[in-house]
Amino acid sequence: MFLSIKEIKKEKVRYGLIIGMIVLICYLIFILTSLAMGLAQQNTDAIDSWNISSVVLDKDSNTSMTQSMITKDEVKKTKITSKEAYIGQTAVVAKKSGRTNESAQFLGLKDNQFIAKNLVLSSGHKVNKSDQVVVDDKFQTDGYKIGDKIQFNSNNKKYTIVGFTKNAKLNIAPVVYGNISTWKTLKNGNSQVIASAIVSKNANFKTANKQLKTYSISAFISKLPGYSAQNSTFTFMIAFLMIISLIVIAVFLYILTIQKIQNYAVLRAQGIPAKTLVGATISQSITLVVSGLLIGIMLTAITAIAMPAAVPISFNIPILSAIGIGLVLTGLLGSLIPIRIILHVDPVSVIGG
Amino acid sequence: MTTLQLNNINKYFGTGSSRVHVLKDVNFTAQKGELNLVIGPSGSGKSTFLTIAGGLQTPSTGNVELEGKAVKSMSNRQRDAMRLNKIGFVLQAHNLIPYLTVKEQFQLVKKVKKEHNLTNLSLDVLLKQLDIEELQNKYPGELSGGQNQRVAIARALYTRPDIVLADEPTAALDSERVAEVGKIFQTLAREQDTAVIVVTHDLRLIEFADNVYQIMDGQMTLNNNMKTA
Ligand SMILES: Nc1ncnc2c1ncn2[C@@H]1O[C@H](COP(=O)(O)OP(=O)(O)O)[C@@H](O)[C@H]1O
Ligand SMILES: [Mg+2]
Repeated sequence: MFLSIKEIKKEKVRYGLIIGMIVLICYLIFILTSLAMGLAQQNTDAIDSWNISSVVLDKDSNTSMTQSMITKDEVKKTKITSKEAYIGQTAVVAKKSGRTNESAQFLGLKDNQFIAKNLVLSSGHKVNKSDQVVVDDKFQTDGYKIGDKIQFNSNNKKYTIVGFTKNAKLNIAPVVYGNISTWKTLKNGNSQVIASAIVSKNANFKTANKQLKTYSISAFISKLPGYSAQNSTFTFMIAFLMIISLIVIAVFLYILTIQKIQNYAVLRAQGIPAKTLVGATISQSITLVVSGLLIGIMLTAITAIAMPAAVPISFNIPILSAIGIGLVLTGLLGSLIPIRIILHVDPVSVIGG
Repeated sequence: MTTLQLNNINKYFGTGSSRVHVLKDVNFTAQKGELNLVIGPSGSGKSTFLTIAGGLQTPSTGNVELEGKAVKSMSNRQRDAMRLNKIGFVLQAHNLIPYLTVKEQFQLVKKVKKEHNLTNLSLDVLLKQLDIEELQNKYPGELSGGQNQRVAIARALYTRPDIVLADEPTAALDSERVAEVGKIFQTLAREQDTAVIVVTHDLRLIEFADNVYQIMDGQMTLNNNMKTA
């Protein structure tokens, strides 16, 4: 510890630059990871808020709620309990003159089922008439207000915004919660169609009909349009970033140690045990990586506070902690590589001439 | 009392036609209380002799005994401990750690060898004698060659070694300083009962020596006539 701290103190610029580099690497990884997590979350925010375990869809819908249609006949023999709810999903463009158009996901609900009943609003009240809607607060950010009358697509009928809800995103689009009858109107469906899907809090919920199929929530989410592709892209991007950063940090620490071999040879000649020198090298690497990491975390925290709400970012502490530990372990590894050299440093090499 | 003994030492470097015979049947003994000077030109094998004497290199043939114990029979750890506790090296170059101040060079030693070092008072006296007591908060890079050399000498003596091995300790010093260093080594031998071995091509040190050896092409001979010459 003595040697490593003294050296950092003497070579402030050199070690400052190395810590700076580690800070930037940590910061880059933290922010990219959080952005990826944020984007991933916007695919599923709304679904996550329902706390459901399974989804029933038409078996020919390719696990897509927007493609699925469930008819009255199909659910005739199925018992719908308080743990189940109908949902009608369709993509809409919401507009009001003087406001920006919003590409949104319309979700039609039944007022007396759990999704509508459990909906948490940030302002306003719940839907109690078919011409009312509750919308994601992205609308609020974009200037919409409670009482605004909006239209969907080219439909002339107007719907009133009566409430806002937080974190209601589906497929990266804000959600408009309305009545399931509104959904039917938007879909121009025949009167036999009653919903796109049945969602249930019961993982083993089954219908009696062969045309309907129950999917687990994870199977359903992985089939959300673009979701898996997007996530694997980000996972690979971050994994490559991690591996390359790890190599860069390890190489830097390796070079640092190699530069000190001369000094170590002198100390070995004087009888300072190799153990002391190995200890100095390891403690120095850890000091550098940990200080870089701490500053990186601070920068990330500042960024988290300063980031505009519109940017999808989500700071997942367990994942970021795991990354942080990974970085420290890499530092350790980088300093362990040259240990063989330290142990075999030849004291005679400094006594020539 | 015989502290250091080298018996029939030969040292070769390389193999086959490129083999060089650097030390040839060297016999050498050093007693406590004496300053031994080994004089020889550059390339004569002085540094090789000194590193073998200090257990940093092994001879090709022959054996080294330290206070009656064969260096060959020691483990690496025992050799480290021997160097730390019994030997004070004054190396030819790169002797100090560049990122430690003069004071910290001693602190580092104290962290590893906790006991039987110079007291703060005796260290102060030594630093004054070497005229470096003002430099304690300076880094080696801020010192002149001669100042560095004197710090290195103080560093070697700090552990109160039984044997001091010095490689060209006066290379960067002017005559006045050479006399000072010569006197320090002489006092060290006589008053601390230390065995001091200095290899050098600096004839100015001869007047302080108890024994003068000459080394030429790896052959060592005792030549105390040089003292009167
Ligand atoms: N590791 C080595 N490999 C090959 N030759 C060496 C090695 N060390 C020293 N020598 C050779 O041994 C001779 C004596 O070197 P050295 O002991 O350093 O002499 P001095 O210190 O008297 O100048 C020189 O010719 C040198 O080239
Ligand atoms: Mg030499």
